[in-house]
Amino acid sequence: MVSIAIPTGVLNPGALDLLARSGLANLTADDLGRRLLAERGEVRVILVRPADVPAYVDNGAADLGVVGKDILWESPGSHYELVDLNFGPCSLVFAVPEDGPLFGPETWPPLLRVATKYPRTSEAWFESHGQAVEVVRLHGSVELAPQVGLVDGIVDLTATGRTLRENRLRVSAVVGTSTARLIANQASLKTRSSALQMIVSTLREAANGAG
Amino acid sequence: MGLGGVPGFRDLLPLEAEVLREAQESLLGEMRRWGYRHVITPLVESMDVLDLGLGVDQRRRLFKFTDGRGDVVALVGERTVPVARLVAGKLRSAPLPLRLCYAGPVVSTVEGRFHHRRETYQVGAELIGASGPVADAEVIALAARCMEATGIRRYQIDVGHAEFFQGIMEAVRLPDDVKAAVRAALAARDFVALEALLEGTSLKSAEHELLLRFPALRGGPEILDAAGGLIRNRRSEAALAELARVRELLVAHGIGDVVVLDLGAIRDFDYYTGVIFEGYGPDFGRPIAQGGRYDGLLARFGRPAPATGFMVQLDMVSEALSRTDPPRLDAAIAWTGDGLSAALRLAATLRLFGMRVVVDTEPRSSAAAGDWWRAVAARNLVYCRGPVGVTWTALGKRARSLPAEQVAARLAGGRA
Repeated sequence: MVSIAIPTGVLNPGALDLLARSGLANLTADDLGRRLLAERGEVRVILVRPADVPAYVDNGAADLGVVGKDILWESPGSHYELVDLNFGPCSLVFAVPEDGPLFGPETWPPLLRVATKYPRTSEAWFESHGQAVEVVRLHGSVELAPQVGLVDGIVDLTATGRTLRENRLRVSAVVGTSTARLIANQASLKTRSSALQMIVSTLREAANGAG
Repeated sequence: MGLGGVPGFRDLLPLEAEVLREAQESLLGEMRRWGYRHVITPLVESMDVLDLGLGVDQRRRLFKFTDGRGDVVALVGERTVPVARLVAGKLRSAPLPLRLCYAGPVVSTVEGRFHHRRETYQVGAELIGASGPVADAEVIALAARCMEATGIRRYQIDVGHAEFFQGIMEAVRLPDDVKAAVRAALAARDFVALEALLEGTSLKSAEHELLLRFPALRGGPEILDAAGGLIRNRRSEAALAELARVRELLVAHGIGDVVVLDLGAIRDFDYYTGVIFEGYGPDFGRPIAQGGRYDGLLARFGRPAPATGFMVQLDMVSEALSRTDPPRLDAAIAWTGDGLSAALRLAATLRLFGMRVVVDTEPRSSAAAGDWWRAVAARNLVYCRGPVGVTWTALGKRARSLPAEQVAARLAGGRA
């Protein structure tokens, strides 16, 4: 039995679709919705919150996991990142008020104040671009922070840019791009190698077929 | 004042502490049987010594402070470097090879460094002054027997070679900055990034293919031939030949069936110079034992010598064990009236047989003795009513009245 952790939220339909197309498990959101756990043949599918996928995989509660790269930026662990699954694309951007004075990096002040749910990634990115930052860690409604003067701008995830426009923000710089990834527990790869490698290549083929 | 302790540091309560201590004794006992001598190095080392032995990242994770003289010192984060200091210093005149073992706590400033903790216990063995497959195989076989000695049932040892990777990196045709990025991606186990890096280069070789298949390069001796057919560089070829020899020797050591060859093992390649290995237990998300050849370390302390060794994460071993069979007290002895001296004599006799026995500190009624017995969770209750009369109750059995000598004989006999 190989267990796969898949995320709730925006990546959920893509993950279920991938499992169905690869022929590993044909599940609907309803099948998983109530029990959070389903077994199909040799595969056990576990439904967890997106940010919890690395914890399940790193600690060996799941052999494999489907997770957005944006989550991995914030929680690097002992897992192997094996396959780009080619769905759920989005960008992590630095966005500033539409009518404000800030545009590209040349217009940024010596110390930039930034609100984000991605403090680790943001700090590393600004540091690698020689920009001093003061990062304010927020847990929700990040878009609000620049409007009330808490910060100069936000680093947040955007797929279509709609939320940014609605909050009168525009992109000043792209910090990174993310898609769904397949990760594996290090010990599972070693101790149950052949079973895992087979599932990994099945998923790889299904993912590339769609891309 | 909170009584919880510092985050990342943990108290071990009796159940865990006892299992851990017992596992430590089993490990050190096995090492002793292989001729490894026990050394104890201090918890604190001077930064001058640690600077010589440790990489930048490891140094960053140390708890550092200044001692009364103004010297910067640190709490040890691993115990191989202190052993190397010892071999190059106080043991300088001792002839090589030296077989040494150690046990002790190590700490890290990073929460989550050791499986959600900042402190862990490590037991390790080092074989210093011997190079070649015979020494490599000895240390790997010792690691396997150590895991067995603790009572871990199913385990697996993965054996790889640092030079196989180094040879590939030397042979692969890439600019230096891309090579650095390839190393970083591998260290982070990020094969998506690795693929992107290698896709972007025009020169393709068999080595490209090998790097991308790194996590899958594992199996029995057949994997050596498969890899041999793909590589075209001396360093990797020599590594494969050495691995083949080590595997033969491990079969002779009697552990051929737990060994898996793992050419894609990803470790600290700045530190390891030859055969590397990891031990995995059942149902654990991470390795329990890790080790390998580090021929460069001793030279940094002025006594160049080949060396290999390993360490076992003791708290992971004890975690695996305490899930299976929690140790219990063998007997709880309660008494009333003038039963105390009989109770003390009986306890002394049972302890002679190696049993774990507690004697109550105050007289109790028969009913209260039953409550006390359940509270201390022993296998047997012995209730001494007087100099002679004794009632014995085993878990799940009816109470029986017997002379004290007979109770002693039955309890000790049942255990033997």
